[in-house]
Amino acid sequence: MTETPVIEVDRLTKRYGSFTAVEDVSFEIHRGEIFGFLGPNGAGKSTTIRSILDLIRPTSGHCRVLGLDSRRDAVEIHRRIGFLPSDLALYPNLTGRQTLEYLGNLRGGVDWTRVDELTERLAADLSKKVREYSSGNRQKLGIIQALMHRPEAVILDEPITGLDPLVQLEFHSMLREMADAGGTVFLSSHTISEVERVADRVAFIRRGHLIAVERMSELQDKALRRIKLEFAAPVPASAFDGVDGVHEVSVDGPTVTAQFEGSMAPLLTIATAHDVLSVSSASVDLDEIFLEFYRDEVVAAGDDPDEPGERGARAGAPETA
Amino acid sequence: MLRTVYLKSLRDRWLGASIGVASLFAIAWMGMWAYAGMGDEATDFIASMPEAYLSLLGITPDGGVAGLMLSNMFNFLGPFVIAGIGVSIAAAAIAGEEANGTMNVLGAMPRSRSRLLGSKTLALATVLVGAGALGSLSYVAAASLAGTPLGSLDLAAATVHMLAVCLVFAAVALALGAWTGNRGLASGAAVALIVVSFLMSGLLPLFEGLEDWAKASPWYWISGPQPMVNGVDWPAVAVLLLVTLALGTLAWWGLNRRDLGSGAVRTPLVERLKGDPRIGRAVSLLAGRGSTRGIAAKALSDLRPVLLIAAGFLAFQATVLGPMFSAISGDIGGVVDAMPEAILAMVGFADFSTPEGWYYGEVMSIVGPVAVAVVAINAGAALAREERSRTASVLLTLPVSRTAVALRMSVAIVAGSLIVGVALVAGIAAGNAIAGLGMDVGHIAAAALLLAGLGTLLGAVAFVAGGLTGRHDVAVGAGTGVAILGWGINSFVPVNPDLADWARVSPFYYYSTPNPLVDGMTWWHLGLLVGVGALLVAVGVVAYRARDLRG
Repeated sequence: MTETPVIEVDRLTKRYGSFTAVEDVSFEIHRGEIFGFLGPNGAGKSTTIRSILDLIRPTSGHCRVLGLDSRRDAVEIHRRIGFLPSDLALYPNLTGRQTLEYLGNLRGGVDWTRVDELTERLAADLSKKVREYSSGNRQKLGIIQALMHRPEAVILDEPITGLDPLVQLEFHSMLREMADAGGTVFLSSHTISEVERVADRVAFIRRGHLIAVERMSELQDKALRRIKLEFAAPVPASAFDGVDGVHEVSVDGPTVTAQFEGSMAPLLTIATAHDVLSVSSASVDLDEIFLEFYRDEVVAAGDDPDEPGERGARAGAPETA
Repeated sequence: MLRTVYLKSLRDRWLGASIGVASLFAIAWMGMWAYAGMGDEATDFIASMPEAYLSLLGITPDGGVAGLMLSNMFNFLGPFVIAGIGVSIAAAAIAGEEANGTMNVLGAMPRSRSRLLGSKTLALATVLVGAGALGSLSYVAAASLAGTPLGSLDLAAATVHMLAVCLVFAAVALALGAWTGNRGLASGAAVALIVVSFLMSGLLPLFEGLEDWAKASPWYWISGPQPMVNGVDWPAVAVLLLVTLALGTLAWWGLNRRDLGSGAVRTPLVERLKGDPRIGRAVSLLAGRGSTRGIAAKALSDLRPVLLIAAGFLAFQATVLGPMFSAISGDIGGVVDAMPEAILAMVGFADFSTPEGWYYGEVMSIVGPVAVAVVAINAGAALAREERSRTASVLLTLPVSRTAVALRMSVAIVAGSLIVGVALVAGIAAGNAIAGLGMDVGHIAAAALLLAGLGTLLGAVAFVAGGLTGRHDVAVGAGTGVAILGWGINSFVPVNPDLADWARVSPFYYYSTPNPLVDGMTWWHLGLLVGVGALLVAVGVVAYRARDLRG
């Protein structure tokens, strides 16, 4: 593909004193794409986004948006993209409409029929003062301001915080429409189901390191599933050693839990050699897929993939990441 | 008013600035009205004043009563209020948007950082110059309302000097805020500079050989060249403007080189210092531990930073003023002896030739009340602050009644005021002992208790306003308003003997009359201050129980 990427992050590193928030992160996002950016709290998602927007300056590396340099051409980039920050703060003494008027005036070129359309679709109420809004209503205002000028690309940091499920659905269909019309969506989230639902490609970041970037469809092909087998009597875990496609077998009395990919037949062949009482299977969360397939990268990033308590918890990390 | 950053900044700030100007007008009018009531008596007093004292005040004999009052407004109250407004806007210009988290949205708008700073700076300058000019016009209005002729005083020149100096202070706050993104640091450092600069320009000229050092203080240039008599000293004003410009450039440079804050919780300075391997231990010892043992303990613990600064400054100033008095008492005695009674009234009836009068004029009339007011109003507004920060919904769903929460928080008002009182005793007693001034320690303690009583009442005003409305700004505004108005009434109304009794409506009267350093404790005054304070707290608690909580 020779087309200029809409967002390009090139070997981005950001350090705060001795703490490294993001290290050597590179990826590209193309036109018409919804790009999911997945990672636990404090993984470096917001640091990456704030660098792209020139709110903070990389220690090393570069970001480019629409072919423009994020630092030198920040104003032009801001004009052409929309941004919804995480933990959105707006002016408490302005009403919703006044907030949009103010931000619209600063942007210029806002089409108010577009604002009305977004307001209606999200069922937002613009008449109250921002300080009186619930967090969900404030978030709707944030979404409207990010999309009201029909941006070429939009960067959304934890956008569905506080939104009810119906509004989430409507919002996701708005993102899909935008991408189908050639727009680009950068969706940062720690909500796996959201990324699974809407993203075309997904990047997984952990402890400031980009672990992998995958197409959603390919990830789903990896189809990692979890199976739970109940036996009449305990069966040793070693019984499943070397079975094709089987990972992570754990035994708890007569219950055996395992993850597998591909065909279930070899696993069932071994299982049925014993007295199976019940079988249940479910798909595995996206982050577990990442942890399983990129175990080495996760370990290299300084994380223990087998320690669920580790996910998202990092002592001493500032809340900038 | 939402078309541009500039207009929105004006929209956010005009009300606060207008209140400041209105207070200045009220005080100027009150003062001139009190003086005008004295008729020819006052003019005669002024005519009989020594030339040296008039020149110290920066007025001519034909300036009359208006000249006296105006020199007070231009050289003292006016610059404090206008510079204070400027510093508060400047510190919040960039750092405020960061602290509130709105920089995330504003910073992603198609505006360069330079342009953002430019708009904010222009708005700051507009409000500051507008407020200063309106203030000056309001003094003219006050003089005409009071029927006091203005004589040949050059108010425009005085305004230019005052504004140029206020711009320097505001630019300091702007530069610090733009460099660090820390609003508290920017406003704190700029206010400290204002106070130090004010003291330098007032105290240094009293020492032989140090007079010229006062010129290094920006405050000196408000009245040093006597613009009200001599007109504008353009070279001096040009230098002040150049300094402002240089600070503005520094702000621009600082803002463009750093990361913008995201409204996330910033590590407080004390915590960062504690983390420093060289001084961490000492800082930890000094700072103590934040208490979470109970509501009252936490309220007092939250008050600690402001308490440390206010009480520390008060104690330090009171200590050094002792030896300073010994050094200069010979010189000021003569001037003061020649002063008519009514002029002494203007400086709070302080006889600067005695240590009690010196301490009264230098510490108890202004610095002490400011210190105790800042602490007590902060403590009194804490209840409303819980609602602003939305922590009230957590706190009040604990198994504690609203009454208990409110009462325990009010404990910090009394405790904080008492600690400031202790600082005053410690400072004056130390100065007294070092310089061997022979002041009565019991009287010093009485002054401190009365100061704590005044604090309790002012804190209670903030508390009752917060209890009634749940709004932090209303609580702080009410406490500050009563403090400024009370101070103004007590300072200016008594100059006219016919009106003197009206000073009794001010809480400051019960704190300062008669001077406790001379006459010791007036117990019923203390009882009244604390009693009214307790009554206000009770009303606040009842109101707090009865209404819906915010947030």
